[in-house]
Amino acid sequence: MSGARLDRMIWLALPAVAYLAVVYALPLLWLLGRSVTGPDGVTIAQFTAFFSDPFSWRVMGNTLRIAFWVTLLSLVIGYPVAIAMARARGLMQVMLLVAMILPLSIGVVVKAFAWQIVLRRDGLISQGLVASGIWAEPQRLLFTETGLIVGATNVFLPFMILPIYSVVKLIDPRLTEAGATLGASPFYRFRKILLPLTLPGIVSGSAFVFSMAVSMFVIPSLLIGDRFQTLATLTGRSYLLMRNEALGSTTAVILLVIAVSIVVLSTWLSKRVGRSL
Amino acid sequence: MPELISHPPAFLDIRRASKSFGAGKVLDGVDLAVSKGEFVSLLGPSGCGKTTLLRIVAGLLNADQGHVMLDGAVISAKPPHHRDVGVVFQSYALFPHLTVAENVAFGLHAKGADQSTISPTVAKFLDLVHMSAFADRSVKALSGGQQQRVAVARALAVGPKLLLLDEPFSALDRKLRETMQIELKRLLRELGTTAVFVTHDQDEALIMSDRIAVMNRGLIEQLDTPDTIYRRPATAFALEFVGLSTRLRGKVAAVKGAGELLIDTAFGSIRANGNYLPGSSVLIGVRPERMAFGARDGANTVAAAIQDIVFQGSRIQTHFVSGIDEPFLLETGGELPARLAPGQQVPVSWSIGDTLVYPAGPSA
Repeated sequence: MSGARLDRMIWLALPAVAYLAVVYALPLLWLLGRSVTGPDGVTIAQFTAFFSDPFSWRVMGNTLRIAFWVTLLSLVIGYPVAIAMARARGLMQVMLLVAMILPLSIGVVVKAFAWQIVLRRDGLISQGLVASGIWAEPQRLLFTETGLIVGATNVFLPFMILPIYSVVKLIDPRLTEAGATLGASPFYRFRKILLPLTLPGIVSGSAFVFSMAVSMFVIPSLLIGDRFQTLATLTGRSYLLMRNEALGSTTAVILLVIAVSIVVLSTWLSKRVGRSL
Repeated sequence: MPELISHPPAFLDIRRASKSFGAGKVLDGVDLAVSKGEFVSLLGPSGCGKTTLLRIVAGLLNADQGHVMLDGAVISAKPPHHRDVGVVFQSYALFPHLTVAENVAFGLHAKGADQSTISPTVAKFLDLVHMSAFADRSVKALSGGQQQRVAVARALAVGPKLLLLDEPFSALDRKLRETMQIELKRLLRELGTTAVFVTHDQDEALIMSDRIAVMNRGLIEQLDTPDTIYRRPATAFALEFVGLSTRLRGKVAAVKGAGELLIDTAFGSIRANGNYLPGSSVLIGVRPERMAFGARDGANTVAAAIQDIVFQGSRIQTHFVSGIDEPFLLETGGELPARLAPGQQVPVSWSIGDTLVYPAGPSA
């Protein structure tokens, strides 16, 4: 009986399935097909050409390096915030949640332009560091990797905080108190209680941020420019500027493979971590 | 009386502990001294400050004023992990990512004990709480009673100087609770552990404690043995909170000789001992099992109408018609006199020595 009910319920998913099939699965299939076809039919020539070019390796390196630093920085900044938010009470908690969620309503383009202002040679950071004597003269952070990492972290931070926050929320605050009364120092309590229990949140937050950072297009376009290419910006350029569909579909597929493996890997990892908890 | 400087500190010595949250004063200068090996219960309704006091002793909360001494040293300023005070939490707070044995070993690892002492210690305490067979299980797979045992073993394994228990039985069903109470009491006695136990359940406090501190509104109203607390409650609150009681309001009509009182009540004149001025409003208390059917010479005898007869297995309660907030009940162990039924007017008596008197407000 419950099987029959489930079967009928499944039709409720039909609009979503149909929509995704038309606007997502079909173009994706076309893209996949395009990446393995040449003038003479099916070929992997485009991939071999791509992987034999040192420039391609530099692009892949750029992509993964930037995504790695953005993820790490988001984690380092976001983790304590998530804990504070989960443990805060009343008005404080509401304020922290609003402070995190409100910026999500501002478009990425607007945020990236705002960062341009902050990162310029005469921008806030440069002026501040010069005024405090750390820098001898104004420097430009805009169009550098550091600027890109800082700006992208700002955009993706909520996606690190939220999964960790929701995990911490479910942890009994008495656990760390119990650890304390058993003679464990604050650091020991963090390492042996809080960290292992929040690991599933860390894994899913990192997976979110990493997969978004790998495929970001607007932010690097505005904060670092054309001289620095990632797989996503190269894909965009191939289609929009170079009209090179063969290259574009190849990089798109590689990007897709990276993103899918992150999702699969993190699902596997959080299941494994979840089981051992 | 001024505090005596020469007064030697007890094993656990809490002096003038105060704590406020916002405008509300939760602890109002509490003194409590506990001897080594003693089991003391903090008994009171929710909000009386008992859990706050416990958290202050554990170092999980800072008192606004006052200090805590343990084994001759002031521990008020120490963080919880340097206090040697173990806690069994109401929710048990077992580490869900660890096995039973790993939970018990946690404190030993944290204190840097080496593996050769950890394994036998863990085995010993799991054995003491009858959980050896579950050593490698996840704590999430345990029943409430089993979790409680693990929590006790975990707290005791590090050898704390003092064990604090925060309503550890409240999540268990009644039968299991009674078994666990007696088991825990025996275990702590065998280990010679000094324990402070927080509860709102008077039966639990009476069963387990060497002494009970009855708490109300941030103060300890009475600190004494369960026997004295029950038989001679020091305040009207202690009388009401611990056990059942017959309570009548009255006014002192006359005082004879050495504190012999004659008190006017709705049930007529009642004799009692105490130091009150004529005209003062008082509350009279009598334990229901100290009362009996029938008139008796030299005792208080009143006539009362039976309202209900409640059969409770080993004892029978008879409730009589009386005023609001003035329960009038009698408890008999065996059988009732024949032909008693609700509605009947019968004589009831109790001795003058069993008549407790407390000051009451002027309200009728």
